[in-house]
Amino acid sequence: MGMLIRDILEKSEEDFAEIKAVKWLHKKEILERSYHELAGHVVTIRKGLLAEGFQGKHIALIGTSSVEWIESYLAVVTGNTVAVPLDAGLPGEDLIDLINRSDAEALFLSPKNQALLGAVLAECPKLRKIWMLKEEETEAVDEKVASLTELKRAGENSQDDAKRPSADDVATIIFTSGTTGKSKGVMLTQNNLATNVNAVNYTADPGTVMLSVLPIHHAFCLVMDWLKGFSLGATVCINDSLLHLVKNMGVFQPEVILMVPMMVETIYKRLAAADPAIPKQALAANVFGGRLKIIFTGGAHLDPYYIERFAEYGVNIYEGYGMSECSPVISSNMPGDHKPGSIGRPLANAEIAFDNGEILVKGSSVMKGYYQMPEETAETLKDGWLHTGDKGYLDEDGFLFINGRVKNLIILSNGENISPEEIENKLALGALVGEVIVTGENNGLTARIYPDMEVVQAKGLKEEEVRAGIQEFLDQYNKSQPTYRQITGLVVRKNPFVRSSTKKIKRQEALIDEPLPM
Amino acid sequence: MNQELQFKTIVAQYCEVKPEDMTNDMRFREDLGFSSLDFMSFLGELEDTFDIELEEENALEVVSIAQALELLDKLQQEG
Repeated sequence: MGMLIRDILEKSEEDFAEIKAVKWLHKKEILERSYHELAGHVVTIRKGLLAEGFQGKHIALIGTSSVEWIESYLAVVTGNTVAVPLDAGLPGEDLIDLINRSDAEALFLSPKNQALLGAVLAECPKLRKIWMLKEEETEAVDEKVASLTELKRAGENSQDDAKRPSADDVATIIFTSGTTGKSKGVMLTQNNLATNVNAVNYTADPGTVMLSVLPIHHAFCLVMDWLKGFSLGATVCINDSLLHLVKNMGVFQPEVILMVPMMVETIYKRLAAADPAIPKQALAANVFGGRLKIIFTGGAHLDPYYIERFAEYGVNIYEGYGMSECSPVISSNMPGDHKPGSIGRPLANAEIAFDNGEILVKGSSVMKGYYQMPEETAETLKDGWLHTGDKGYLDEDGFLFINGRVKNLIILSNGENISPEEIENKLALGALVGEVIVTGENNGLTARIYPDMEVVQAKGLKEEEVRAGIQEFLDQYNKSQPTYRQITGLVVRKNPFVRSSTKKIKRQEALIDEPLPM
Repeated sequence: MNQELQFKTIVAQYCEVKPEDMTNDMRFREDLGFSSLDFMSFLGELEDTFDIELEEENALEVVSIAQALELLDKLQQEG
């Protein structure tokens, strides 16, 4: 016996029918959809997917947050289909690889990413259908391409609805950085996700306004903003761009926001730079919209300094901990039950153990495994215990703390996990790059490069020319990457890296005996 | 306050460099230490302060103060 996402949504429709479920901006107008209306759209799309023959299939989604994205996602995961949300900011070649590796047979694509269409059609042979995430009809560029409206029409014309999935069926595959450089598809079941929603012990009045500011393909946003928000009967508002985060807090006046630490840090800079003569309450109203009381953070560690500072503005920050593999929340501080510096108490459905200091998790929200990666699954999941790669401890009051990492992953304060090897493999292609190590510093990535001396000598390059040549190469690389994978610091080394007896570069010594980054 | 100084005063909120010490060849992320989100927030403030509308994709191609000032000028002339 387990839980389904469909159970959560059906209960929300029953309990909160006339409450607004979603609000979003269209140009300067606020549009909205009630729980009853949202459920109607979800069922129509679900019936459309069944009518078009996608029962049991994997369906990818590419786009930033939109009402069309979320209703399509919900349609997929409440039927007998598997949703594969992908990061719309990735380069086209990476998206094509993920579509193919996830065995997706259909794709929901945001109009903003329409430029991908040609390449996706040419290079993803398993894709049978692409629906553009917009209400208008789509010009006939290819017989495989249609609009969401056309899919809804197929659903309206059909009597049959998809059967309820089983609790152990995979609902979603979410890609996460792999330590070996190849991203891994985390398989999360219906029960994994639904029990995570349930186990997060936070309640709020129906109609509580949340602003969703995180990337929607991330488990933290998808499960905690959307699924948890819907389970509470919250009104989830869509932040259309990070450019407009502060402006949109004024527009929607949220009471609760989920953030990554980098957002807290950026907002604090604005608070700190304001004229000290302005009363804190007035400044808070100006920056936070006037009603914000709670920020939940996750994805990376937050310096407790910000918790104290934000409290002065009437905003309480509660830090949590999780990873995609755990659907995602493992522990969280909560109103009335928190300790700054900790990552809160483990959820009721998460059993915690330690192996040489590494945090292990067991419970109903732990993933089924990595899609088609049995070796990586066996390395991470042992006897039902998920090896998190983080080191930590539980204090005498039962609060969890983190104090290190076992694996090489770089965790940036925007919550993105970066595999240094993945980026090093790309940078090693530069003509002037001999050896490269990528490190995470000052909220960004630094490339430490020992130039290819054969090339330098053959071309007779001076030191500053080598540096300029490498920077030019990095600028080109950066243009093709989402901001969180861009290199913002460069150290040109004078000596090769120290290597171990097995000829591998010693990462922990990469920072030693070299000048500071420019 | 002239426009360039007003612009640099906004930049200074996100970094340790004073407006008078900024040179136009400085890069936001590499030289001024902006996080990717600082840069987005900064662009949002430019929109509000100078009453312009930025297209996110074009704006994200800007890396230096000189490029940002150039874009600002262009948008104001068009507007």
